[in-house]
Amino acid sequence: MSPLIRTCVLVAGIVIFYIAYLLLGALVFSYIEGPVEETLRTDLTSLKQQFLNQSCINASQLDVFLERVLKANKYGVSVLRNGSGHSNWDLASSLFFANTLVTTVGYGHTTPLSDVGKAFSIIYALLGVPFTMMVLAACVHRLMHVLTYGPLKVLQDHAGLQPRLASTVHFGLLLILVVLSFFAVPALVFSTIEGNWSFLDGFYFCFISLCTIGLGDFVPAEQPRQEYRALYKIAVMVYLFVGLMVMFLVLRTFHRLADVHGLTAFFHLPSYDDLAEDREPIVEKAEKEDTRETTKPLDPSSQVSYNSFGR
Amino acid sequence: MQFVSRLPSILLLGVVYVAFVLAGGAVFWRLEGGLVEQNLVRLREEKSRLLQRLSCLDIQSLEEVGQLIRSASKYGLSLKSNSTSDGFWKFTSSSIFAATVVTTIGYGNISPGTMYGQIFCVFFALVGIPLNVVVLNKVGKYMLSIERKFCHFIEQKTNRKKCVRVFIHSLSFATLAVLYFVAPVMIFQQYEGWSYAEAVYYCFITLSTIGFGDYVADNDPDRYYPEWYAFIMGAWIFFGLAWLALLINHCIDLLEGFNGYLKEKREGTASMSQGSQPDETQAPEKSIK
Repeated sequence: MSPLIRTCVLVAGIVIFYIAYLLLGALVFSYIEGPVEETLRTDLTSLKQQFLNQSCINASQLDVFLERVLKANKYGVSVLRNGSGHSNWDLASSLFFANTLVTTVGYGHTTPLSDVGKAFSIIYALLGVPFTMMVLAACVHRLMHVLTYGPLKVLQDHAGLQPRLASTVHFGLLLILVVLSFFAVPALVFSTIEGNWSFLDGFYFCFISLCTIGLGDFVPAEQPRQEYRALYKIAVMVYLFVGLMVMFLVLRTFHRLADVHGLTAFFHLPSYDDLAEDREPIVEKAEKEDTRETTKPLDPSSQVSYNSFGR
Repeated sequence: MQFVSRLPSILLLGVVYVAFVLAGGAVFWRLEGGLVEQNLVRLREEKSRLLQRLSCLDIQSLEEVGQLIRSASKYGLSLKSNSTSDGFWKFTSSSIFAATVVTTIGYGNISPGTMYGQIFCVFFALVGIPLNVVVLNKVGKYMLSIERKFCHFIEQKTNRKKCVRVFIHSLSFATLAVLYFVAPVMIFQQYEGWSYAEAVYYCFITLSTIGFGDYVADNDPDRYYPEWYAFIMGAWIFFGLAWLALLINHCIDLLEGFNGYLKEKREGTASMSQGSQPDETQAPEKSIK
């Protein structure tokens, strides 16, 4: 099989697997969440019926009211309980919003209402998202020396481990450290500060935010009677940014690990060397030589100059 | 050590970044703050008006109704009298949800409410996101290589390197822009009833993977959507993201080329040969093989 056809088949295979993965996820979500939704729906319908039976408003009036409240709710405006309503757009919250915009997390708990706001969001994000990626990449690049290359050198020179084993050990340690300090501990903190979040909710929030998915079902600092709200929001912002940086770091370390174990070559993915601007310490070179030989299929799809942007 | 010597530049970058985010926050504050006040005031007036008009309703039951709709909207259920919506977790919308998790768009208009749903979501994303990145990159690279092959083919025929390259690049950019931006905007305008500005805003927020969720296609429980709608939307998101990855890679390509060009100028005419643009000259060779 010529290299070109082989990469073709490989790409097709990966895409098919990807689609299958999505379908699987859909099935599982549907299976888990569907019944709960059904129950809620029947409850709500009977509640509504009950309500209509004992009040003087008719169904259409109720519908109008419902629509209005829903619309407002979508924009984070609530009239319930005299809406003590902190504004969603005071300085700290706007800052928080700008941050979620440029990191592409995008919770959506507050969104621009005005047309001008929307237009500005687009322009701001057009500039801000690449800028953020650049800043993150630059920081991670420096951090790699301290957190990856340094320890690896120590492991190999002083502990005398083989490169492969050293990489695996290092990655395992890094992973444990990151999960503890950026997931477990913040989850604890969040579940304490936010009254109705469980530990799992906090963990779930940390994960969804640090992957930049940002569903927005849990957003900190939104409780009606939150003390030091502005400070809290800024602290969360810093946490998100640093956490994002660390996730990038973990990802790059994992990439390097996969490279050292020959996995990237196996799947015809760009090797770590081709993406890293800095070469690693000389000790690695011997290991690198034989992995590099296997990553040079002679087809255009192996061009490496345009694949590197971090995500 | 290298790490220490590069510290000043990264400090500068950090300062600029913080200033950028602060500036953005301030602008949003000015733009949006006023509007919320107005909305709140108006809503409160309406609420009191409703309470006055409907004598049988007290504030307690009104708040109950409010909570009711909050819960309903979280699950995408419409309480309008005669609608027969399927809610959010039917299969097609679950797939769309899975796709938004894996592409990190994460609208949030629906999200798992059960504990098991949340746990599964975490593990699903752990595997899905890297998978997504790999697939998008592969597809993007493939699109680029097709473009390069085509470019080379035309070059051979007409023998004018630079013009052809620019032409092909702009042609592909234009076609794909129409496919992934212009056409979707028109479709959304028609099927979602959004204005032109709203549709553009939605397309941008989705393709940049920010994904607020204030506008989500295929989501209105009171609207009718044709069968192919969800599928087209999924395909659009996927290929649109791949196209964006391609675009970004193009820009990096250009930047690198530009950087190389600047280097040449600085070093004089010394190495004007193949050293400067390795990927440009190697591509045609490799595609011959």
